[in-house]
Amino acid sequence: MKREQTTRSVDRMPTGIPGFDEIMDGGLPRGGVTVVLGGPGAGKTIFGIQVLAKGATDHHEPGILVGFEESPTRILANTAAFAWGGDRLEAAGVHVIDAQLSQSIEQGGEFDLIGLLAVLTAKAAQIGAKRIVFDGLDVLLAHLGQPALVRREVFRLRDWVHESGFSAIVTAKADAAEARPSTDYDFLQFMADCVVTLHHRVIQGTALRFVRVAKYRGAAHSANELPLTITSSGIEIAANTTIGLEYAASTERISSGIERLDAMLSGGYYRGSSVVITGAPGTARTTLAAAFAESAAARGELTIYVSFDESPDQIVRNVASIGIELGRHIQAGTLRVHSLRAGAESPEAHVARIRSLLRQARPQNLIIDPLSALTQRGVVDDTEGAALQILDFAKSAGITVVSTSLLGSLPLTDQMPLSVATSADIWMHVSYVDQGGERNRAITIIKARGTSHSNQVRELVLTSGGVTLADVYSVGGEVLMGTLRWEKENDARRARAAAQSSAMLREQKAELALAETKARAVALAREQAIREAELQQVRADAAIDVGHRAGEADELLHRRRADPATVPPELDVDVERLS
Amino acid sequence: MTDRLPSPAGTLRLRLYVAGDAPNSLTALANLRIALAQLPAHGVDLEIIDVLAQPERGLRDGVLMTPMLVRQAPDPERRILGNLGAAGVLRRVLGVEAAP
Repeated sequence: MKREQTTRSVDRMPTGIPGFDEIMDGGLPRGGVTVVLGGPGAGKTIFGIQVLAKGATDHHEPGILVGFEESPTRILANTAAFAWGGDRLEAAGVHVIDAQLSQSIEQGGEFDLIGLLAVLTAKAAQIGAKRIVFDGLDVLLAHLGQPALVRREVFRLRDWVHESGFSAIVTAKADAAEARPSTDYDFLQFMADCVVTLHHRVIQGTALRFVRVAKYRGAAHSANELPLTITSSGIEIAANTTIGLEYAASTERISSGIERLDAMLSGGYYRGSSVVITGAPGTARTTLAAAFAESAAARGELTIYVSFDESPDQIVRNVASIGIELGRHIQAGTLRVHSLRAGAESPEAHVARIRSLLRQARPQNLIIDPLSALTQRGVVDDTEGAALQILDFAKSAGITVVSTSLLGSLPLTDQMPLSVATSADIWMHVSYVDQGGERNRAITIIKARGTSHSNQVRELVLTSGGVTLADVYSVGGEVLMGTLRWEKENDARRARAAAQSSAMLREQKAELALAETKARAVALAREQAIREAELQQVRADAAIDVGHRAGEADELLHRRRADPATVPPELDVDVERLS
Repeated sequence: MTDRLPSPAGTLRLRLYVAGDAPNSLTALANLRIALAQLPAHGVDLEIIDVLAQPERGLRDGVLMTPMLVRQAPDPERRILGNLGAAGVLRRVLGVEAAP
């Protein structure tokens, strides 16, 4: 009953394989036997050693690898390319035991694993091992020959694992295509607590690897196939995994690198959002991405630029011609350009590589140019999964992603990686507009989540001085660009100038009229003052007159009374003169 | 087979790795003793190593499966895995003729 107690508990042993522990709800059964089946080159041995390496380094659980198929030297050499492999294994606490039955060993009857298990018990106690991998057990089982003996030894091994409390992984070859063990070893699956199968298939010329959890005793699990990739970090499972930190939606705006585009987006991209720029070839998608890269790097934010099929030098040179300087940011270390060959590996492998880049560098911004490299030749069932995974992963880490995607003219067709664009926070489309014998670039914001944005189409203008957007004119429902826009702009300028000068004229006239009026007012005021003065004078004169007239009248009267019969003196004179 | 037969006077140095009294180990020991009984007792140097008691010996000597017979001398070294029940194996390694 001891065995049932140990198998009952579904304590998990983290494998440290990115993506795998997440889908396994924590890892492989601790204290149990996991059988890993796969064809040649499916990654069985790497799987096993990686679990040991991660256990030793990350969980202080030393481990033992028992190799039945390959020499320790060869195993170490085969893993030397991995960040945890080669000579690092022994130092980390992974001990490799050579259990090959070399050609020189003759078989002389039945044998068993009792001695091996005794040796392992001793070695495990010596180094404090918790994890043991039996690599290529099928090779040993083949030596046992009879099925009854094979079964007996496999159960012996299983019981030993359960009783000793180690967590064991047994790898065995299986039919490459079916990922099933040859029927001789069917019972391997029955006796195991967990069965993981690794497949290796070629789809559309690209080798793709998959992992599937065929059995997990005592635990619910997904039996779906998931893409598996092998990178310099080792095996990764392309599950929808995140770094594990939930970032609050940022309200911070960061520049798109183009001032007028920021204005169209009410201030730029939200930090941590994903931006997809779609467009036909040559529509300056890369330019828009590079403009963002330049402005982000200039702010001192670590920015990773993943380019498919263009070398870093090519990109730097091409965008330098339109005034975008990436070179100095690369030198300063704020911008890192990684060029990948789209066709060289499966989309899932690229996803894994980009993810491990993000994990290591923890950048603030990521540019993928073009993201469609990840959607074109994906796994048949999951054409867009790879691209979406990157977006999800980046979002969970608060990384702002600007990606480009090859897309012809609107309206959209089935070839379009539509869910990528629709799952992005901002989707901008750059198209060519043929008009008046010219091709001009028009940029449209198709959507921008949480942002009031301009619905207008703008012309994207590339000059040696940089990238900017120009207003466009719509005439009779058609948007004008290029020369037509220029003409329209000229017309508008002339009209504006005319309006301006006529306004000036009117103003001057009005000013003149006002001045005249004011002058008249001054003149009138003066006149008024004169009139008032005159009036006073008149009044004053009038008062004097009245006084005088009284006296004068008397005198006159007097005179007239005195001289009515006399000759006026004047006459006297005259008479005298005449005489 | 290019094996040289040990000269009767030469020393036959053998090691038998067993796992306690596990059935295969006991069978191997029995088969070996029966075969050796046909050889002159002198000139046979047999060491029996129980890996349950001395697991470090198994590890050091590169013997993990049991039972395992190692012929250290004469050269070349030969290793025979199993309970030595397979016909002819012991005779070839020990250079003894089958019991009549």
